[in-house]
Formats: sequence, structure tokens, C-alpha cells
Amino acid sequence: MPDAPARMRIVIAEDHYLVREGTRRLLEDTGEVDVIAAVGTAEELLDAVERFRPDAVIADIRMPPNHHTEGITAAHTIRASHPGIGVVVLSQHANEQYAFDLFQQGTNGLAYLLKERIGELEELLRALREVAAGRSVIDPRIVEVLVGSHIRTVDAPLAQLTRRELDVLRQMAQGKNNRNIAESLSLSESTIEKHVNSTFSKLGLVEESQLHRRVTAVLTYLRYGPNRAP
Amino acid sequence: MAEPEGRPRRVLAIGGGVALLYGVPTGVGISAAQTLPWTMACILPCYVAGLSLSWHSPRHPVARRLLAAGSFGAIGMAVRLSMGKPPATGWHADTPRAWAFLGVARTFDVLAAITLCRLVALLPDGLVRRGYERVVLRSLWLLVPYPVLLMALPLSEGTRPWLLVVPESWAPGLGAGLLLVRSLLDTRERRAGPAARTDRLWMIALVAFVVFAGRGSARLFRLWLAGKGLNYFIGSALGALPYITISAGLVYAAFRHRLPGMDFAIRRSLVYGVLWTIIGAWYLGMTTALGLTAGQYLPIGLAVLVAVTATMLFQPVHRQLNRLAARRVFGARPTNFELLVQCGTTLEHAYDLKRLGPQLAVTLREGLDLRWVRVRLGPGRVPFGFGSAGAEAETGQSPWGEVRLRYGEEVLGSIEYGPKEEGRFTPEDQDVIETLARQAALAVHNAQLTAELSTRVDEVQRQACELNASRTRIVQAQDTERRRIERQLHDGIQQELVALVAKLALARNQLCRNGDTVHTTLTELQDDACRVIDELREVAHGIHPPVLTDQGLAAAVLSKARRLPLPVVVEVDPSVSSARFAPEIEEAAFFLVSEALTNVLKHARADGVTIRIGRADGSLLLDVSDDGVGLPAASRLGSGLTGMRDRIEAVGGRLSIAGRPGGGTTLRAQLTERSRETAHA
Repeated sequence: MPDAPARMRIVIAEDHYLVREGTRRLLEDTGEVDVIAAVGTAEELLDAVERFRPDAVIADIRMPPNHHTEGITAAHTIRASHPGIGVVVLSQHANEQYAFDLFQQGTNGLAYLLKERIGELEELLRALREVAAGRSVIDPRIVEVLVGSHIRTVDAPLAQLTRRELDVLRQMAQGKNNRNIAESLSLSESTIEKHVNSTFSKLGLVEESQLHRRVTAVLTYLRYGPNRAP
Repeated sequence: MAEPEGRPRRVLAIGGGVALLYGVPTGVGISAAQTLPWTMACILPCYVAGLSLSWHSPRHPVARRLLAAGSFGAIGMAVRLSMGKPPATGWHADTPRAWAFLGVARTFDVLAAITLCRLVALLPDGLVRRGYERVVLRSLWLLVPYPVLLMALPLSEGTRPWLLVVPESWAPGLGAGLLLVRSLLDTRERRAGPAARTDRLWMIALVAFVVFAGRGSARLFRLWLAGKGLNYFIGSALGALPYITISAGLVYAAFRHRLPGMDFAIRRSLVYGVLWTIIGAWYLGMTTALGLTAGQYLPIGLAVLVAVTATMLFQPVHRQLNRLAARRVFGARPTNFELLVQCGTTLEHAYDLKRLGPQLAVTLREGLDLRWVRVRLGPGRVPFGFGSAGAEAETGQSPWGEVRLRYGEEVLGSIEYGPKEEGRFTPEDQDVIETLARQAALAVHNAQLTAELSTRVDEVQRQACELNASRTRIVQAQDTERRRIERQLHDGIQQELVALVAKLALARNQLCRNGDTVHTTLTELQDDACRVIDELREVAHGIHPPVLTDQGLAAAVLSKARRLPLPVVVEVDPSVSSARFAPEIEEAAFFLVSEALTNVLKHARADGVTIRIGRADGSLLLDVSDDGVGLPAASRLGSGLTGMRDRIEAVGGRLSIAGRPGGGTTLRAQLTERSRETAHA
């Protein structure tokens, strides 16, 4: 969490006028955020980012002209050209596939939130701060779907993990740190750490930061499904 | 003695043959005019007929007697000709050697006459049936020593012939008389059945003719013996007639109608050949006789002219006789042209190949006199039509000949046939078969086209009906779905919004009253609104899942699977994972998977589901299988499944459902791939 009392400079991209203005009023009302631009299309968003270099961006997932996933495309573009700018994608889809789409090239500085989180102002502000700091947020509703799912895909990268590593990963997905995992699995913390590291290396997550590796590993686990095979 | 068995018979046959071989050239050398007509017109026919009959039925008395008559006659002639020139014609000989020869020759002549008489008298079976026959016929043997006796008596040359007319001239007549008596007695006793009556008619005719001819010849024979001009010729022709008639008639009757007791199968061509020989010999004897007779009295040039004229005059008779023989032996036969016309007419109405096959086979067999014919109409192992004629056709015998039915390059069947019943297979016969094969090929081709057309028309009609029905069902399903959405919007979301409005009004009131409760109400309001959003999301998703449009089939199926409350295994072919197909294909596929999963949840009581998405040969393959209770037989065509089938078939796919009670259910769909025209529709 940034300590600086300086207000965050953000850009809002949302094609629906009422939502756009409502969000702007809501955020400005907190006094923590400066909405330096509010635009209606992805193109205008990219333009505003180039001009104002904001700390973070709030982008609707569906925008003109096609109303598909212009928000995600824009987020990728922004992250590629300005790694310092975080992007919160607001989506009406409570569907994990969109989150995977957003996170397909890395989770740093990206957040996937359902649109109704606008009402939960604290959540929205937290997400903005997280992405501005290069971290990542995923909507609890999505995690709920993933954790609750009974799917198993055949080509999963998880297939190469041992059963113990999968156990650890499952605990990790529930938001536990190494110590908590060690407790619930009745193992030493150093053993857990060993499993975690071998999991990261099997999933090809060696060069990223510790926190980011955890998120990605959990996402991978959630995405490809808990392998319930013995 | 005179009716030899076994070895004597063979000796007699060989003796007759040798005598003929020796006598004819010798006779021609001495006096062709006097030897050839007798030899060719009387002895040779008898000998040939007897030989051929006894060859096939050695024990039959008729055959034996005919052979004996021919052989005795031949030997007699040969012995007489051995006496030197000129051959003695009377009853007197100058030298003892000639006397002995003459006696032997006469004796053989008498033997021949007796045998012929017995032969004729005992027709058709050759058995003595009545006492008087036995007496008469046996007493005939008394005539055997008669010539020698007659020659030994010191009688004048003129009286001898008159003392006892030459037996050759009256013996056949006597036989015929006996036969007539026998058949008349048979008729009176009504012993014969209807089949024998036909034979009897023929016999009576024969008898009448033989009697007549015999009588006539008996008188004229003397003229022949005298060797005088035209009378001589007429005498020899009439004298020869009984022999030719008897021998030809017996051969014909034996082979064609089975002479009683003569039981053998024989190629008709042989009968024809023997008849032809007999008739030919008679013809040759007659023309030679006339020519030689003329040569005795006319200048040589004129004689040649007479001979040629006689040959030409007799030629039509000869031809007519041969034709008659052929007709009688082989029966009436259509000409090739008639055959073609006949088959052509059949083929014109050949829309029914099942009937055409047998017709063609029968016509061909009868028309060409083939032993068997096998007709196969239509290509491949299962022909449209099949026909066979003849007993051997079915036995799978390898054909004697085969003609393929061709239309262009295509082989449309075949005609296989056995050898001909009689005679050779001529190029004309081959032409007939080939022409018919061409016509049949055309007919098969037409029938094939007709069948194909009718199948197509049926298919189109069936598809049209099915299309109509499925279109109706799809429209109905759409209407139902629209009503459901309308209900959801009106009864669900709209009501929720109305409630929100009411709660907003409440919040306003609480605010006016400066109440503390407004904060709680507003929180409630926000939660309510979130719930409305959720509900709206559900409705929108029900109408069309956005992830399908945005990310394609694999993502949509995975997302659907994640929300399933039971274990799911999803196998997505890597080439499908990121592939995009035409929207209608993706929608139909997703609809199928999601309906199938709904069914699994509702009915299957399954512990797990497997979804497979793959592609092969330009098709998208979907496979949803569960391990549940399986499909009860009755629900196989339930409305849900029909709806799925409609959706799949509407985009040109196929759906199959496999399941048995207790063994899980597998739903399999195959959709022809179509790629997206634009990136996003």
C-alpha cells in the first residue's frame, strides 16, 4: 500500500455514460483519487494513457465498436507499453475465462473485478492501489467458481506435480501461507517450502517475484482443476 | 442264326462293312449302273441305320434285324460281284465256280429279305406276340435253301423266276401285311393307351406305304432286273423306297420317340446325322441311277446333261427332306432375327430387372438351344436381377462362354452360358448374345438411373418432411424460450426493480424523518441491486453465453463444466482449444453440450461426466458420456433429444445416442466444420 498521501491519478474508460459519471463521482468523492480523464472507447483510453500517464486505469471490458473484450486488449497494450500503469478491468461477466484471458501474459499490475464492485468502494480503491503497485487482484466470485469446480482437464500442466505438491498447492489456493499449510498438512515449514519451490519450477515460474509466483501457481491450479485422481 | 447276338453280331457288322467297301468299287468297275443304285439306295441306308441303332442298343431285336438285313444284302452283293464280269443276274451259271458264287449270293439275298420281313412284321418292339406270327415268320426260314434248290433243278431259264418270285420284292410287303394285321388286332383289343395310339397312327401310315411301295416295286423290279431305260430307273426308285422309308423311319422313331425297349439318351445331332446319311445315300443312288441309265442309251454329252439336270431336279427334294428331318429332330427354332425382336420387346419393358433376368435367360436358352444360361443384371456382388435357365445353371458350373454387359467403361452384369444342346456355337449365335448383352446393358443402365432417381426423390421427400417437422419444432422451441425469458424478465427482474423503487422511497422517507435506519436500508438496497444484476446476468447468459462469442467453443464448454456440481473430465483436442468456427456451429455444439449436461444432471444420477471435443476429417466431434443409469428405451426419442437432434441437423450435423439401462449414456455428434468468415460476427 503506497504511503504517499498523494492522490492517485486515474483514467476511466466506460462507454455507458451514467456508469462512467457515477464511477467518477464516487471515486472523486473519496478524496483519494483524481480522475484525470473519463473516456468512452478503448481508443480514447489508449490516447489518454499516452497523454496523462496515470497511475492506474479503470477499463470496462466491453466497449465500442464491437462490444467484446476491448478492455482486455487495451489492458494488455497498456501493460506492454507502460509497465508502471496498473489496469483494473471491470466486467459484467462472472466468468473465469475472461480472467484467464486477462492474465494470460502475466498477472502483474492487472485486476479482474465484477462491475458491481463499484458499489463496494473500498474494494475498488484497494484494487486500484494494488495494480498501481504492480500487484494483482481477482474477483472473489471468480475464485469461488474455480475453487468450487470439479473439473479435470486431460492436458493439465498440473499432471507433472506429485500428489503432495498438489496438496500444498490446493492449500495455497485457499489463501494460506507456508506456515498455515505446514500446520494443516502436519509437515515442517521447510518441507512445505521445498514443495512450493519444486511446484514453481515445474510450472515454469522461476524468474518472477515470490508473490507473483504464488498467484500464478494458484491460478494455474484453479484453471486446470484440482486433479482428483489418486 | 439270322438274329445274331454279341460276337456274331459284330462279325456280321464287320462283314457287312467290308462287303460294302469291297463291293461298291468293284461294282462300279464292272457295271456302275447296275450296282450303285441298289447299293446306295437300299443296302447302305439299311446298314447305316442298323449300325447306328445297334450301336446304341445292341440287344434290341429291331436294331439287330436292321443291321442283319443291311449286312446280308451287302455280303450278297459283294459275293455276286466277285464272280466277275458280267455279274449273273439270272438263276443260271456257266461254271461251277460261278454257280457256287451265285448260290451264295442268292442265299444272302433271301436271308436279307427274310430278316427285313421279320423286322417289319414285328414292329415296333421286335417281339413275337401272337402264334400266327411265329408260324409265318418261322416258316420263312424254309426259303433259305430255296435258291440253291431252284438252281439245282433242271428248269428252263424263263420258268425259274416265275416259279417263285424273287423274295426281295415281296418279303417287305409280307412283313408290312403282318404288321397291319398286328396293329389292327391291337386296336380292336384296345390294349394301347393314348400315347401308343399316336404311334399306331404313324405305324398304320407306314404300313400302308410299305405295302403299297412293296407291291409296286415287286412288279417293277423285274424291269429293273432287265435293265431297261427309264422304267429301270423308276423301278429302282420305287424298289428302294421301302428300304429308305423303313431305315429312316426306324432311326427317327428310335431316337426321337423311344422305340419300345430302346432306352437310351442320344444327341439329336447324331440322329440328324444318320438321317442325313440315309437320305443322302438314297439321293446319290437315285441321281446316279438316272445318270448311268441315261449314259447307256444317250450320247455322252447328253447323258452328262441328263445327270446334271437330274441332280438339280433332285436337289430341292433332297434339301426339303433334310429340312424336314432337321425340323422333326430339332423342333421349330426361331431365327436369330426373330430372337432379337423377341428379346428386344422384352427389354423395352425392362423397368423391372427382377423379371427381366429370368425372361432373358429363358429366351436365350430356348432361342439358341443352349444347355444352360445364367444372367446377372447389375454391377457388384448384389445384382438387381438374376435369371437362369437350364438345370445346370444353378450348380455354379464354370461357364462355357461369357459375355459381359457393358455400358461405357462400366460392367453392369454378365451373361454366362453353357454349350449348345446340339451342334456348334456359330459366330451368328455369338452376335445374337452380344447384341442382346448390349441391349440388356442399356436396360440395366436405365433401370439403375431410375432406381437412383427414385431413391433420391424419396430421400428428398423424406428430408423435406423432416425439415418441415424440425423447422416447426425449432420455431416452437424458440417461442417457448422467448416466453420463458419474458416471464423471467417480468416476473423476476421487473418485480425486483419495483421492490428496489419501493425500498428507495422508504429510504427517502427515513431520511426525511432523519432516522438512523436509513443506512441499513441503503445497504439492503445495494445488496438487492447486486442480486438483480446477478439475475440479469443469468438471463442474459441463458439467452446467449457471451464467452462463446468472445472466446469460442472450448472456453464456453470449460466454463460450463466448471459450474457443474459433479466431477467432469474435459478433453479438448489442442487444435480445437483456440479454434473458432462459424457461429452457428459453435452455438449448436455448445447447445448440445449444455443440453446433454442438463440431462445428465436431471436424469442420469451419474457420478461423473466426460466431455470430449475433437476434430477429424473436417468434422467437429462432440462426445458427452456419463456413467449414470443409462437411457430407458422409451425416452430415446424424448422431446429434449429431438430438440438436440433438430439443432444439430439444422447445421448439417449428425447426432447419435448410445445407452443401455444401467450402462451410462453417450451422446455423440458430428458437425461439418465451417470456419468463421469474420473475426467477430
